[in-house]
Amino acid sequence: MPTDSRRIAGPESSTNPYSFCTEKPRHDLLKNGKRQDGRKENNLRPIFLKAGVVSQARGSAYIEQNETKVICAVYGPREVVRKEDFSMKGLLTCEFKFAIFSCRERRQHQQDIEEKDYSVQLLEALEPAVCLDKFPKAQMNIYVTVLQNDGSALAAAITCASVAMADSGIEMYDLVAGCAVRVAGKNLLMDPCNQEEYKPEDETGLTNSGSVTVGLMPSLQQVSAISSKGEIEFELVKQAVAKCVDVCTQLYPVLQQALVKSVSERQNEEG
Amino acid sequence: MSNSSKRSNLRVMSAELSLLSRPDGSATLFQGDTCVMSAVYGPGEVRINKEQIDRATVEVIYKPRSGLPGCTEKSQERLIRNTCETVLLSSLHPRSSVSLTVQEMQNSGSLLACCINSMCLALLDSGMSMKCLVAAVHCVLDFEGAVFLDATDKEEKGAQACVTFVFDSVDKNVVMVHAVGKYSVEQFNKCMSVCRTASADIFHFYRETMTKKLKRS
Amino acid sequence: MYSSSKPAETAKISVRAARPLEYYRKFLEKDVRPDGRELGEFRPTILNIGCISTAEGSALVKLGNTTVMCGIKAEFATPKTEEPSNGYLVPNVELSPLCSPMFRPGPPGEQAQVLSHFVNEVLNQSCCVRKEDLCIKTGKLVWVLYCDILCLDYDGNAPDACILSLLAALKSTMLPAVKYNEETEKPETDSVKTEPLHILSNPVSSTFAIFDDHLLFVDPTVQEESLATGTVTIVTNDNDLCLVQKPGGSPVTADQMNTCFERAFSRSKEVLRLIDEILHSIER
Repeated sequence: MPTDSRRIAGPESSTNPYSFCTEKPRHDLLKNGKRQDGRKENNLRPIFLKAGVVSQARGSAYIEQNETKVICAVYGPREVVRKEDFSMKGLLTCEFKFAIFSCRERRQHQQDIEEKDYSVQLLEALEPAVCLDKFPKAQMNIYVTVLQNDGSALAAAITCASVAMADSGIEMYDLVAGCAVRVAGKNLLMDPCNQEEYKPEDETGLTNSGSVTVGLMPSLQQVSAISSKGEIEFELVKQAVAKCVDVCTQLYPVLQQALVKSVSERQNEEG
Repeated sequence: MSNSSKRSNLRVMSAELSLLSRPDGSATLFQGDTCVMSAVYGPGEVRINKEQIDRATVEVIYKPRSGLPGCTEKSQERLIRNTCETVLLSSLHPRSSVSLTVQEMQNSGSLLACCINSMCLALLDSGMSMKCLVAAVHCVLDFEGAVFLDATDKEEKGAQACVTFVFDSVDKNVVMVHAVGKYSVEQFNKCMSVCRTASADIFHFYRETMTKKLKRS
Repeated sequence: MYSSSKPAETAKISVRAARPLEYYRKFLEKDVRPDGRELGEFRPTILNIGCISTAEGSALVKLGNTTVMCGIKAEFATPKTEEPSNGYLVPNVELSPLCSPMFRPGPPGEQAQVLSHFVNEVLNQSCCVRKEDLCIKTGKLVWVLYCDILCLDYDGNAPDACILSLLAALKSTMLPAVKYNEETEKPETDSVKTEPLHILSNPVSSTFAIFDDHLLFVDPTVQEESLATGTVTIVTNDNDLCLVQKPGGSPVTADQMNTCFERAFSRSKEVLRLIDEILHSIER
C-alpha cells in the first residue's frame, strides 16, 4: 500500500494479535433450538433508534442492535458540483463506511470494496422511497458510519438511513425498514450477529448456506432491495424473504416512534 | 544558573531580498545555518470558490526540503498562514489572492522562526500594506531549566521543551506561540521575556536590511 | 401568549443569522454568551468509556453538541532497528463528512491533518504512554496502538474533545496477554486474559477563543470559532504544561496568557475527576 502522507504513518505492516490465538472450537449455530446468545430462531435483538443526533446535519439517526451500532447523517439539498451530474431529478449519493475500530480486524481509512458495495446497495434501497423530483438540480448526501459491527450492519444501515432521510424533512413516499436473515440448512436465523453471519470463506458443508437482506417500504408493502449471498434453494429464499417482510412490517412502528419523538423534541426546544 | 540564560544572543542573520525575479517580493534568510526562502505573489486573481468579498484570500504553501508535505508540514503551513493573515491588511484587496511560498533550504534548528521571519521580509520586499511587523524567536529549555535562544538542531533534540514565539512590532504582544515539551508556567513566562527582549534584534535587522535595499535602488 | 412571543422570536433568529457579530456583542457586554454560558464555562461534558467492544480501548465524548469517539486497536509489528524496544503510537483524527457540512469526502483536509499532528505532539510530548511499555520482545515484536479519533458531530472545539477521548480511551485499554515463543519465534496470544495499559500522566486540553481582539472565552462552538479573531489551545500535563499553541490571530498580553493558564489547570482537575468517576462506575 502506498504511504498516505496526509495521515500519521505507523509501521509498514502490522498483524492482528487474535490471529495468533490458539484455535477455539467452533460453536454450533443452534443448540436445542437456542442460538449462542440465547435467542430463538425468530427473535430479534432489542433495537434502540433515535433520530436527530447530529446537530450540524439536516437529518440524522442512530441505531443500536445490541453490539451493532450505526450512525447516519443526511446533508442537502445542495448544489451539484459537477456539470455532468446535472439532472432534473434530484441526485442521491451514499457513502457507507466501517469505522476503523468497528470490527475485530482493523479497517482501513479508505473505502474498500465491501464498503463500496454496501454504499451502492444502500443507495438502491433508499432511492425508490425518496421523492427525487421534488428537488431538481440538487443533491442529497447520505453518510453512514458503522461504529461497531456485530452482524446485520447493512440492514441496520438501511433502517437508520431512511429515518435520517425522514428526519431531514425531505419528502418521501415511505420509510424503508431493513432486515437480515441467515440461512443455514433448513434453519432461518433472523437478525444474525457477527458469529452467525454468512462468511464465504467458512466451509460449513451445508448445501443451503447464505444470507438474505431485505429492504421493505412497510406502508406501501413494496420491497425496495433484496440481496442474497451464498448458495440457497429458491424455495428457501422465498421463505427467507417472506420472513424478512414480516419482521420489517413489525419494525415500522419503531421507526415512526423515533421520528415522532424527534419532532416533538424539536418543537419543545423552539418553545 | 537557572536565572541566567545559557545563550542570550541570536545566531548571525543575513538576508537577501528580491533574489527571484518572477514573484512580487522574495527573501532568503539565514539564521545561523538555517536557511529559508520565501516568495510572495499578489495581490492577484483568486479562484472563484476561494473568493472572499471583504478581504484578500491568503494562501501559504510550505515546501519541505525533501519528500512530500505531511501532517507536520500542514501544521507548520497553518501557523505561517495565520500569522501572515494577522499582519497583512488584507481588507485593502478584497476579492483577490495573496499567495506565499515558503521553501525550506536547510534546517539546523529554529526552522519555524526562520520561516516566519523570512515571510515577513518577503512581504516587506513586496511592498504590501501591513498592520505591523512580526518577529519570531525560538528557544529551548534544557533539563536544568536553562534557556537557549535560537537553538540549533542538536540542542533541540536534547531539550525538555521547544518554544517559538512571534511578537508584533507595536506592543510586543504575542501573535503566535508554539510550545511543546514539559515545562511550568514560570518557565514559559521566562522564555517569553527572554524571547521578547531578543525580538528587538530582529526588528533592528529588518530595518537594516530594508535600508540597505533602498540605498541600493 | 404563544402568538405574542412569536414575532420577537423570529426577530431574534433573523438578527442572529444576519448580523452574528452584533448579536454576540450584545450578549458579551453582559458577560454572558447566547447559549447562557459564562465566558469561562465549558459546555456540559458527557463521557462514556468502553462503548466499543471490538476495540481494545474506546471512549465517546460529548462536549455540548460536539461528539467525538476514540477507538484504540492494538496490533503486532516489528520495531524500528534504531529503537528496538519501542512500540508505536499512531494517532489519527478523522473529520468525516458525516459530522459537518464543512467537510467533504476524500482524503483528510487541512484541518484534520493539523488536528492529527496536534494529537500526535500531545501524545509524544506528554509521555503518557511509555513506548518501552509496548515492547513484547526486544528487536522482534512490539505493540502498535492505532488511536483513531472519529468526529461524529462537529460543533466547535475539536482539540479538547479529541484529547479527552484519547486519554479516556487509553485509560480503558486492555491488551491481550502475549507470550513470545522463543523456539518458533512466534507470539502466542491469550484469548481471555488481558492486561491494562500504564498511563503515566494526564494531558488535558483547553481551548480559548479571542473575540474582538480582547475578550477571551473558553470552549467555542462552531459559530463562535467562525467569529473569533484567534484561538489559544493549552494542554496541561498534571502540574506542568505540555503544549501551548496560539496559531496567529489577535495578539495577547502576558497577563491574558496567565489567565488562560489558570483556567486550563482548573479545567484539568474537573476533567480528571470526571474520568475517574466514570472509570469507577464501570469497575463496580
